[in-house]
Amino acid sequence: MSVEKELRRTVKDLLEEGGIDLFIGWERGSLPTVASPLFITDPVDAERLIFDITCGSNPAVYFTKDRRQFDGRRVGVVLKGCDSRSMVLYIKEKQADRENVVMVGAQCNGVLDRGKVASAAGGREILELEDDGEKTVTLKGRDYEIAVERDSILSSSCLSCIHPDALECDHFIGEPRQSVTREQRLREVREFEALSSTERWERTRHEYEKCIRCYACRNVCPSCYCAVCFVDQNDPPWIGGTCEFTDSMIFHLVRNLHVAGRCVECGACARACPMDIDLLLLNRKVAMEVLERFNDEAGMDITAKPAMADFKEDEKQDFIMG
Amino acid sequence: MVKLKKNELDRLICRLAGSYDVYAPVDIDGNVEFARVSSAEDMDQSRTVTNLSPKEIFFPKDEVLFEYDADGIRPADSMDRPIAVWGIRSCDTKSLMLLDKVFGSAIQMPKEERFQDPYWKKRYDGALLFGAACAEPLSTCFCNWFGGGPFATEGMDVHVTDIGDAFLLNPVTPRGEDYLESLDFTAEVSESDRKAAAEIAGSAEAVMSPPVPIDGLDQLLPGLFLQEEVWGEVSAACINCGACTFVCPTCHCFDMQDEGRNEKGRRLRVWDSCMFPIFTSEASGHNPRSLSRHRVRQRVMHKYSYYPVNYGEYLCTGCGRCITVCPVNVDIRRTLLKLMTHDGEDG
Repeated sequence: MSVEKELRRTVKDLLEEGGIDLFIGWERGSLPTVASPLFITDPVDAERLIFDITCGSNPAVYFTKDRRQFDGRRVGVVLKGCDSRSMVLYIKEKQADRENVVMVGAQCNGVLDRGKVASAAGGREILELEDDGEKTVTLKGRDYEIAVERDSILSSSCLSCIHPDALECDHFIGEPRQSVTREQRLREVREFEALSSTERWERTRHEYEKCIRCYACRNVCPSCYCAVCFVDQNDPPWIGGTCEFTDSMIFHLVRNLHVAGRCVECGACARACPMDIDLLLLNRKVAMEVLERFNDEAGMDITAKPAMADFKEDEKQDFIMG
Repeated sequence: MVKLKKNELDRLICRLAGSYDVYAPVDIDGNVEFARVSSAEDMDQSRTVTNLSPKEIFFPKDEVLFEYDADGIRPADSMDRPIAVWGIRSCDTKSLMLLDKVFGSAIQMPKEERFQDPYWKKRYDGALLFGAACAEPLSTCFCNWFGGGPFATEGMDVHVTDIGDAFLLNPVTPRGEDYLESLDFTAEVSESDRKAAAEIAGSAEAVMSPPVPIDGLDQLLPGLFLQEEVWGEVSAACINCGACTFVCPTCHCFDMQDEGRNEKGRRLRVWDSCMFPIFTSEASGHNPRSLSRHRVRQRVMHKYSYYPVNYGEYLCTGCGRCITVCPVNVDIRRTLLKLMTHDGEDG
C-alpha cells in the first residue's frame, strides 16, 4: 500500500474511532512545489491528504503561540523525522501534552528546496512536478520537460538528516529509511570550520547581508516560540530595524543562540527564506557544539533533559574558565 | 513608436546612466531584483516577475530621514539625479501609482492639510519608467482581476515590447515621448514589427486565466469583519511570517525608529508588516490584533476594503509574489474567493 493511501486510511480510522478530534496534515497546494497544510475534523477529508516531497514546512509550529487553535482537543499530526523531533522537544518543554497528541510518522524521502528547484528549472515557471521517490524528479513547464536528480533539489537539511524516521510515533507508515553517517552530516560544518576566521566572517557576511528582515525564518521555526520575540520589544529596543549588516547579523546570531540545543535541523527556516540565505550553516555548527560539549541532540530523547536546562558536573567548562 | 535593435540596448542604458540613476532586474545570487546597472550586461530580463518588487527603489527597506548631533539636524544625503527604471512590469508600475496616492497626494486629508512625502516624491516624481510587456505570464499572475493585463501600460512612460531581435518602444506619457525623440539611434517601426508585437500580445493574453470578478468585495468585507470563524479558516495555515508583505509591491506600512546616543543620532523609516505582533502593540500592553487571524484580516481589509474606500481601487495588482513566496501555500486568490462566497453567517 502506498504511503499516502495508508496515511489516509489511518487518519480516517483515527477520526472515526474517536481517537482524535483534529488531524494536521497536508494537501496538494495551488503550486506544484509546495503543499498546503490541511486541518481536518471530518473523516471524509482524509482523502485529501498527501505526503510527499512538497510537504516542506514543519507542522509542529501549529502547536505553539496563537497558531494553536485546538486547546482541550486530542490532535493527530503527520510527521517527518525532523518534525517528530520538534514534537519531542515540545513535549519536553511542556508545549504539548503527550497524552493529547497522536503522532503519525510517515516515510520521509526528503523535501524540496524551492530555491534549488527554481534554479534547476533555469528560472522558468514549474507547472508540474513528478517525483519517483528514488532518484529522479521531473519538472514540466509550458514548453519544457526536464528530469533532475532528486538529491540536487532536496533541502540541504535532508541531505544531512540523521533521523528521517519519526521518533516517538504512535503509528508509522511506510518503510524506515537509512540516515546519513555522522561524517556526512558534519561535512559542511567541518568545511566551514576549516576556513580562516576572515573567510568565515566573509561567508557569514555574504549570507546575512541578503536579509530583508521579514522574519519568515523565525515564524516557520518550531523552536522559535517566545511569547514576545526580542525583535518585537521596543521599550527599549534590543535591535535596530534596518537591513544594514550589523542589525541583520545581530538578529540571526541571537536567534541562532536562542535555538542552541533546541534546533532540530529541519531546515524549514532556509526553505522559507525569500532571499535563499543559508540559515542552516550556523544552526548546524551550534548543534555540533552542543553535541560535543553536552552530548545532546535536540528532540532525540524524550527522557533526557534539554541540554540548556541541565547541568552535569563532568561537562566541559573550558568556555567559562578560558 | 520607435524600434531599438537589441545590440543598441547597451547604448540606451549608457545614455540613460549619463543623467539618471538606472535600475533594472539583476540576478543577485539566484534572486532577481531591481538594482543599479551601468550597462545592459548587468541585467537579467528573463523573469516575468522578479523575486523582489521594484517598490524599494522608491520606498527603500530602510531609509535615513535625518541625522543630528550637537551642531544641529541635517537632512540625510539626498540624491541629486533622477531615477530611470528599465524592465519594470505593468503590475509593478501600477503599484507605484497606488503608492503615489498615499505618499504623493494623501487624498483622504482635507486639501489644506495634505501632506506629501518628500522622500517619496523626490524619487518618484521625476522618474522615467521603461515598462516591459509580459510575453509569458505566469500561472500566479492575476493582474487581470484588477483591470491589468500582460500588455497594460498604466504607470509607464515608455512601453517596451521584445520582438526577438529588437525592442519596440512606445511612448505612454509626454515625458516618455520626449525622451524617445531625443534618441538618434532608433529605427523606424515596420508593419511586420507591429504584427510581431500584436502576435506576442495575443498569445500572452491567451495564457492568462479568465479574471474572477471581485466587484463589490470592498463593500462586502466590512460585514465580515467580526465573523471570527471565517478569518480563522482563511488564516489557519498562515504562520504570520512577513514574507508576503515584504515581496508585495503595494504593502507600504513602515515604522519610525530613532537611533541615538550622546547627542548624536539618526531617524529612520523601515518597512513594517501587519503580520508582526508588535505592529499594533500599544503602550499599555494591549494589542488589538494579538491573534494571527486578526493580523491576516488586517492585511486583507487594508488591500481590499480600507484602501478602496479611501482611494477608489484595490491595493493589489495581482503580481502573485505573495503566492510564490509563501512557505505554506496561502494563496490570496483562494482567500478572496472564500470571502466572496461566504454566506455572511458566522458558524
